[in-house]
Amino acid sequence: MSRYRIPGKGRIDHARPVRFTFDGRVIEGRQGDTVASALLASGIHLMGRSFKYHRPRGVVSAGSEEPNALIGTQRGGPDRFEPNTRATMQEVWDGLTTESQNKWPSLAFDLGAINDRLYMLFSAGFYYKTFMWPKAFWDKVYEPFIRRAAGLGRSPALPDPDHYASRNLHCDVLIVGAGPAGLAAALSAARAGAQVVLVDEHAEMGGTLLSEPQLRIDGAGAWDWLAATLAELSALPNVRLMSRTTAIGYYHENMVGLCQRLTDHLASPPADAPRERLWRVRAKQVVLAQGAIEKPLVFDGNDRPGVMLSGAAQTFLHRFGVKVGDRPVVVTVHDSAWHTAFDLAAAGMKVAAIVDLRNDVAPALVQQARTLGIEPLPGHTVTGTTGRLRVASVRVAAVSGSQVASGRRIACDALLMCGGWTPSLHLFSHTKGSLRWDAETGAFLPDRKTEACQIAGAGRGLWGVAAALDDGAKAGALAASAAGRVAGAGTFAVSGDRPGRGVVVRELPTDGNPGRAKAFVDYQNDVTAKDIRLAVREGMRSIEHVKRYTTNGMATDQGKLSNINGLMIASEALQKPAPEVGLTTFRPPYTPTSFGALAGYHKDDHFEVTRRTPIDAWADAQGAVFEPVALWRRARYFPRAGEDMHKAVARECRAVRSAVGMFDASTLGKIEVVGPDAATFLERMYTNPWAKLQPGRCRYGLLLGEDGFIRDDGVIGRLADDRFHVTTTTGGAARVLNMMEDYLQTEWPDLNVWLTSTTEQWAVVALQGPNARKLLEPLVEGLDLSDAAFPHMAVAECTVAGFLARLFRVSFTGELGFEINVPARHGRALWDLLWQAGQAHGVTAYGTEAMHVLRAEKGFIIVGQDTDGTVTPQDAGLTWAIGKAKPDFVGKRSLMRPDIVARGRKQLVGLLTDDPATVLEEGAQIVADPSKPLPMRMIGHVTSSYWSEALGRSIAMALIEDGHDLQGKTLHVPMEGRTIAARVSGVTFYDPEGQRLKV
Amino acid sequence: MTTHDREFRAAGVTVGELAPRLRFSLRLRPDNLPQARLALGLDLPEKIGGLVTAGQRRALCLGPDEWMLDCAEGDRPALPAGLPHALVEVTDREVTWRISGPRAAELLSIGIARDLAALSPGKGCRTAFGSVQAVLLREGEDSFTLSVWRSFASHVAGLLAIGQRELACGL
Repeated sequence: MSRYRIPGKGRIDHARPVRFTFDGRVIEGRQGDTVASALLASGIHLMGRSFKYHRPRGVVSAGSEEPNALIGTQRGGPDRFEPNTRATMQEVWDGLTTESQNKWPSLAFDLGAINDRLYMLFSAGFYYKTFMWPKAFWDKVYEPFIRRAAGLGRSPALPDPDHYASRNLHCDVLIVGAGPAGLAAALSAARAGAQVVLVDEHAEMGGTLLSEPQLRIDGAGAWDWLAATLAELSALPNVRLMSRTTAIGYYHENMVGLCQRLTDHLASPPADAPRERLWRVRAKQVVLAQGAIEKPLVFDGNDRPGVMLSGAAQTFLHRFGVKVGDRPVVVTVHDSAWHTAFDLAAAGMKVAAIVDLRNDVAPALVQQARTLGIEPLPGHTVTGTTGRLRVASVRVAAVSGSQVASGRRIACDALLMCGGWTPSLHLFSHTKGSLRWDAETGAFLPDRKTEACQIAGAGRGLWGVAAALDDGAKAGALAASAAGRVAGAGTFAVSGDRPGRGVVVRELPTDGNPGRAKAFVDYQNDVTAKDIRLAVREGMRSIEHVKRYTTNGMATDQGKLSNINGLMIASEALQKPAPEVGLTTFRPPYTPTSFGALAGYHKDDHFEVTRRTPIDAWADAQGAVFEPVALWRRARYFPRAGEDMHKAVARECRAVRSAVGMFDASTLGKIEVVGPDAATFLERMYTNPWAKLQPGRCRYGLLLGEDGFIRDDGVIGRLADDRFHVTTTTGGAARVLNMMEDYLQTEWPDLNVWLTSTTEQWAVVALQGPNARKLLEPLVEGLDLSDAAFPHMAVAECTVAGFLARLFRVSFTGELGFEINVPARHGRALWDLLWQAGQAHGVTAYGTEAMHVLRAEKGFIIVGQDTDGTVTPQDAGLTWAIGKAKPDFVGKRSLMRPDIVARGRKQLVGLLTDDPATVLEEGAQIVADPSKPLPMRMIGHVTSSYWSEALGRSIAMALIEDGHDLQGKTLHVPMEGRTIAARVSGVTFYDPEGQRLKV
Repeated sequence: MTTHDREFRAAGVTVGELAPRLRFSLRLRPDNLPQARLALGLDLPEKIGGLVTAGQRRALCLGPDEWMLDCAEGDRPALPAGLPHALVEVTDREVTWRISGPRAAELLSIGIARDLAALSPGKGCRTAFGSVQAVLLREGEDSFTLSVWRSFASHVAGLLAIGQRELACGL
C-alpha cells in the first residue's frame, strides 16, 4: 500500500501503522505522519482543486505555507469539523476523517473545471468587470453565484463543542522557531539563566535539522545533536518548550500571541482538555528565528500535481521516509535543489535531470550529478508540463541570451522546483519594522526595529546551518544580556553543511506565448503572471492595488509563496526596481487561527460577565423572566401559571397600587461621598442644592455633562454633615463614578472629599404600596416610621429584621415607599423575611417592567430611555431640580447657550392615544399632519409607552419639538398600515397632586 | 459556586472562598499619614502594593491616597474627627478566595495579565481577572487571595473551576 515509503527511513514510527480516511478511502500512514506525507507515501499527489479554475492540485510544500493541500478534517463527530486544514500540518491518527475540497462530483472528475477552459473570462479584476449589469441580476444571480464560488471548503454547520483556553505568560526571552538558529539562541539565553520560551509550529522541533540528517554538529550527527540539545533545554527549569505552537502575531510592547494546538493530533484527547490555547506572552526580548521559505518558480504548468518545492521533497524524504516519486526532475536557480536531487538519488529515486537556468553552476555539483547518473542541464529552462491529474513530463529547452531553443520532453512523475529562498519576515512586519532590499540575494531583509527583538539565521538572509547556529547563539546572548543576564554565545563545529547560492528570476524564460501561459504565482487564489501584467496594463501602479486587483497574496497563506514572485513580475511590468515597488504588509495572524482560540473562555455561561444580585437565586426559583441591564441580569416580571408578560405586569402593578410590592433594587449604583467638603463637591456636580439639606433627609439629584445634557439621576441621602449616600442608575454607576473622579482629580484636587463605590456593599429591597409601612413597621428597631417622624424623602440608620440597615423613605412609584439597604450578604435573608411577613399584607414581587410602568404613570424619567444624551433639564421638564441660586454646577453655563434656549428643541411630553386601548410602539416617529405628502417631517418620537393598569388605558411619553407648547393638540403616529392619533398631555398621568405619598 | 469554604481540589491548586472579614476603604491625603498611623496603630504603607499587619489589622496600599483595611470582627477603627479622611465599610462588597498550591500562579494566569513572578509574597495590587476588577494579594510563595465584587463572583469562580479542570487534565 505504501509503495513510496522507504523502510526504516525518516523520523516516523514504522512499527505503528495509523489508519485514516481521505475522501472515504482508507489510507495507512505511520505514527508521526502528516496527512500530506501519508498520502504521498500512498502515491497520492492530487489533494484538492484550485479556487477559481478548479484545476487539480497537489501538495507543494511540507509546512504551514502550503497553498494547495487544504482539506476538511473531522475529528470524531460531525460537529468537530474544520475546513481548510493544511494537510502538511495535520498529524494523522486512527479514525481521523479527511476530505478534499472545492470539487464536484469528485476530486478526479470535477465539473467546476469548466472554469479552466473559460480562463480568458476569469482574468484579473473579472469580478469588477463581469458582475456589473443588469442591476436586477445582483440579488438573484451575481451575489448567490459569488457567494457559492467564494471560499474553499464548507463552513462548519454545527456549534463547536470544543473549548479553548487562554494564558498569560511573562519571560525574559521568547524565541520563535526551533530550527538551528532558534535552538542556538535558546542555548545561549537558557545557559545564562534567562527565563526562556521556545516555540515552534511543527509537531517536532528542529526545523531544517529534521531534513538535513547528514550534518554533523560538534562531532555528533544532526539528529543526535538535536536530541541532546532538546534534552538539555527541557531539563532546565527556566526553559519552556512549546511545539505545535504558532506565533500568530507580534503586537506592541513585545507582546506576542501564540496559538498552541493541544488535541488535534490526538485520537482520544483527555476529558476537559482544551483544543487550543492562546498565550499572550510579554517578553523582555523576542528572538525571531523563523527561517526562510522556498520560492516556487513561475512557468507554464507549474501547478500540476507532482510539481512541488524541492525542499519539501527533501523533508518528505528525511523526516517522513517518503519518496515523492520514482522519477523526479529538478528545476532550479539555486544550489540547494542540487543537494536535494543528490539526497533523492541516494535514497533510490531515479532523478532524470536537474534543469538550472544558470550557466555557471559549480562544477562540483555538475560532476556529482553525473556521478549519480543524473543528467545536468545548466543553462536550461522549463517551458511546460503535461499530465492531467499528475505531472507526466516536462519540456526543457536550452537558453542562450534571450533566445530559448526548441525544447524536448523528459518523462517524470514529480517536478521539484527551487526559486531560491525568502526570509520569513511576517512577525517582524507586524511590528512595523522596516525592510531593506538586498540586491545580492534578491530579498527583503529586516532593517530598522521598533520592538526589543533580535532576528537570527535565515530570517535575515544567512544561508547554511553553521551560519544559522552562530547567528542564533549571538542573538540569544544579546537578548539575554538585554534582559539583564550575563550571557555569552557558544560556537559550533559543523560539517556537511550545504549553504549554496542562487540567482533571482521573475519567470522562467519560454519560447511560448506568455499571454497564454498558465504560469501560476499564487496557487491558492489562482493568480498567474499574466494577471499581474494585465493589472499593470490596466493602470495599477501601487503594489497594494496590484494585490487587490489580482488578489495575489490575499489567500489564507497571505502570499507566503507568492508575494515575492508577484512583486518581481510587477516590478518588471512597471519598469521600476523592486524596492521602489515595495512589499505588501503582512498582518496577524501568521497562519489561519480558529475563532475558538481567539474567543477563549468567552463562550456559553462565560460569553460575557453576568452580574447577579444576592436575590437573583430567589427570582430564578420563582420562574422570573430576566432582562439584561448593563452587565446585570434583572428580574423583568414574575409570571404565574397561564400569564403572559402583559397579564403578569398588570397584576404586579395592581398589587403595588392596592397592597404592597417588593422589588430587588440592589443593582442601583451607590457611591459614598465622604469628607469635610462632601456637600461642596455635590453642589458643584449636581444641579440641585445640597448645602442646606439636613442629615437624615434625601433629595432627587440631577447630573449633567459639561454640555448641559442630562447624564444621570438618582436619590441622594445625607447621612451626616460629611457623608452622603449617592444613588445612580443601574447602567450609569461606573460612568458616574468615573466622571466624579475626573472632576475631583483634575478640577478640584483641593477638596477634601473621597468617593467609594458601595454598589455591591448593599442589597436593596424596595417596598412600595399603601401597605408598605404596615409590613415594615414591626421589623424595624430604633426608628419611628410614622409620617411625622420619618416623612417622604427621609433616611435613617436602624435595624430591619435584626440587620443593620440604611432605610430610605423614597418612592419611584408614587406610592408610600421604602428602600431598605442591608449588607449584601444579608440581602437574601431580609428578602425571605419580608416575603414571609408580607403574605398577610398581600405582598407581590414585581420586576423591572412593572417598575417602568409605575414610574411612567408618575412621569418619572428613565435616563437613557426618555433622554438620549441631547436632553436638557428644560427639555425634560426638570427645571425645578436646578438650584437657581447656585453660582455654578457642571453644565450650568451650557444651559444658557443660545441653541439650548432656542425654539424648536425636542421636549418631553405625555401622549394619550385617542383610542385608549392602543399602546404605541416605543421609538415610533410622530408627525403633525399625516395628510402632508411624503416624505413627511418627523417632529419627535415615542420614548416610553405602556398599558397603565391603574388608569385602564395606554400612556406614553414622547420627545417632541416645542412639545411643551402643544398641550392638548392632536398629533399622529404613522405605523405600517395605519396612523394613530394621540393628544399631547402632561407627563404625570396618575395622582398628579401626590396625595398617595402623604400617608 | 460561591458556597463558603467549598474547595475545588485539582492538580496542584486549591480554591476556597473565605469567610468575610471586616473591610474598609480608607482614603486620606499622604500628608496626614503620620496622624492616621498613630490613630490606627498601623504603619500604613506609602508604596502602592505595600502591605502591613499589626495584630488583627492589616492595610494594603492601593493608590497614593487609598488603603484597603482588614480588621477582625467587631474591631471598627476610627480616625480623629478633625483629620480629613473617608473610611467606608466595604466588607460585603467583595468575595475573597484563597488560591493556593504549587500551581496557584499558573491558575491565576488564565485571567491575570500581570507578571505574577514580580509580585513578591507580602505584596498586593489592584488588577483585573479577565474583564473583572480584582484585588490580588500574594500571601506566600504559593498562596494568593483574590477579591472581586460580589456580583462578579459566580463568573470568576466559574473561570477558576474551568482553569482547575484544565490543570488537572494535564494539557
